[in-house]
Amino acid sequence: MHNDLALKINTEVSGAQATAHIAEVGDSSIAVDSAHILKICECLKNDGFNVLQTISGVDYPGEEAGTDGHIELNYILADFHEDRELILKTNVRRGTAEKLGTIASVVGVWKAADWQERECYDMLGVHFLNHPDLRRILCPDDWEGFPLRKDYVVAEKYRDMTINPADKMNFYDREFFAKQKAVDKAAKQAAASAGE
Amino acid sequence: MTEQMNGNANTGSDLKSDEKLKSELLTLNMGPQHPATHGVLRVEIKTDSEIVAQAIPHIGYLHRCMEKHCEHLDYRGIIPFCDRMDYLAAMSMEWGYALAIEKMIGQEVPKRAEYIRTIIGELQRIASHLMFYGTYAIDLGAFSPFLYAFQERETILRLFEEISGARLLYNYIWIGGVWNDLTDDHLQRIVRFCDKMDGELEKYDKLVGQNQIFIGRTAHVGVITPEQCYDYGLTGPMLRGSGIDWDLRKKRPYSLYGELDFDVVVGRGEKGQLGDCWDRYYVRWAEMKESLKIIRQCLDGIEEGPYMGKVKKIIKLPVGEIYMRSECPRGELGYHIVSKGGKTPYRVKVKSSCFTHISILGEIAPGQMVADLVASIGSTDIVLGEVDR
Repeated sequence: MHNDLALKINTEVSGAQATAHIAEVGDSSIAVDSAHILKICECLKNDGFNVLQTISGVDYPGEEAGTDGHIELNYILADFHEDRELILKTNVRRGTAEKLGTIASVVGVWKAADWQERECYDMLGVHFLNHPDLRRILCPDDWEGFPLRKDYVVAEKYRDMTINPADKMNFYDREFFAKQKAVDKAAKQAAASAGE
Repeated sequence: MTEQMNGNANTGSDLKSDEKLKSELLTLNMGPQHPATHGVLRVEIKTDSEIVAQAIPHIGYLHRCMEKHCEHLDYRGIIPFCDRMDYLAAMSMEWGYALAIEKMIGQEVPKRAEYIRTIIGELQRIASHLMFYGTYAIDLGAFSPFLYAFQERETILRLFEEISGARLLYNYIWIGGVWNDLTDDHLQRIVRFCDKMDGELEKYDKLVGQNQIFIGRTAHVGVITPEQCYDYGLTGPMLRGSGIDWDLRKKRPYSLYGELDFDVVVGRGEKGQLGDCWDRYYVRWAEMKESLKIIRQCLDGIEEGPYMGKVKKIIKLPVGEIYMRSECPRGELGYHIVSKGGKTPYRVKVKSSCFTHISILGEIAPGQMVADLVASIGSTDIVLGEVDR
């Protein structure tokens, strides 16, 4: 199914660069170029994908310092007539709070995109162009930063309220995992030296 | 009564179109603490006399960013967090998550565990719908149905408390099976519950569903067309209330649902229009009957055996991603899990049905009376914990 759909997208939308990724475990997907997302979505809706279930953004910061990295948007579509499901992937530049990465909004295709895109903007900081009402949805309007980015650090104070106390539970979690990592590393090194 | 309500609605739209009578818009804040919003939801309503001109839902008051928490936890540790999203149907939330992980690691679940899961899942559906039934009646001004509904809900919660140790947040369905076995005594009690529930459901329908005042308040109110359903991505009872025959338990059967015999209830516009509040009430009410049917079949078929499969001590997902949907009492729940191969997920995205359902409020509200808006919000059956996550 994925290969046929990718072919269809490529013939109908020039420059879409649709490629199917067939996964051995888990779900397969189609990756497309973000510049043509609106046309691709229209094409898929005409093909029968009548429901946009969700837009799930995943943050991939640059591996090395100085590289920008990207945010991967997963448009999870469904066809409620023929019972099909599709994960459509596209990459958006990460950008900074002042100059976010941009992509065209698909509210015109599915109205469900309205709130999904707002959530994505709120949590990951993706600017959806031509969105009718792009505001934060889960966080307060004057919140700073994008919580689901990997490099997000919670501010210590919000409107003079301490929101990130030093002794909060997650701190112990973080410490626990750091310790676990050190133990694993030591065990690996011991195993390597024993091998030599 | 129905005609009278229609009459009112018509005068309403006339008022709106009549320029002479058009007054200044008044902003009315319903919530964040309002009994009719079922939690901490704020609806900013712009009213033109009694008529709603615009309704803007504001959510986020219960936002805990569970998705971020999940990124720091191992796969077993995430289950209690799933509970805390939809705290009225915690078993179903756990089940959906366990299904996703099991599919990804190819985990076998013993037959007895599947039976237990199906029984518990359907009991949870009944408990959740009873909650809807009771609170919806309160929204519309009837208090006593709430007490009847909670009496039966209590039976289910007591049982859940015995098997899992908690009344609401269970951590009971684990990856590879369930935490604890059901004893014969439990099964006997479920049988007795089902027998009692048959009569109770008839009583509930007489008390609320066929009540003329209730019909007057819900028929022709908050109509959602099938096209709107698809456009906004509605699922579950909201979708079926608009007459669309779609149930994941039938279309993509998981667990035992493929072998079980039950019907998908859809709205027919019996008392008013297709897709109105009464239809959504009816779908939930009739779904409880179907759940009883499923539970009875499972009670007949349940077999002895282990209730927990052999699971590796440390669960590691292969590199890849999965989107797993399951049919929760409120609609379709989806987990999008991205793994980079470690002990913790790289990203967990929860597709919440309530989040999608509340987004249609802005579309159906204009033109309604303020009191009808309460009926519309109630009929979406939202849990703010799941909306905000």
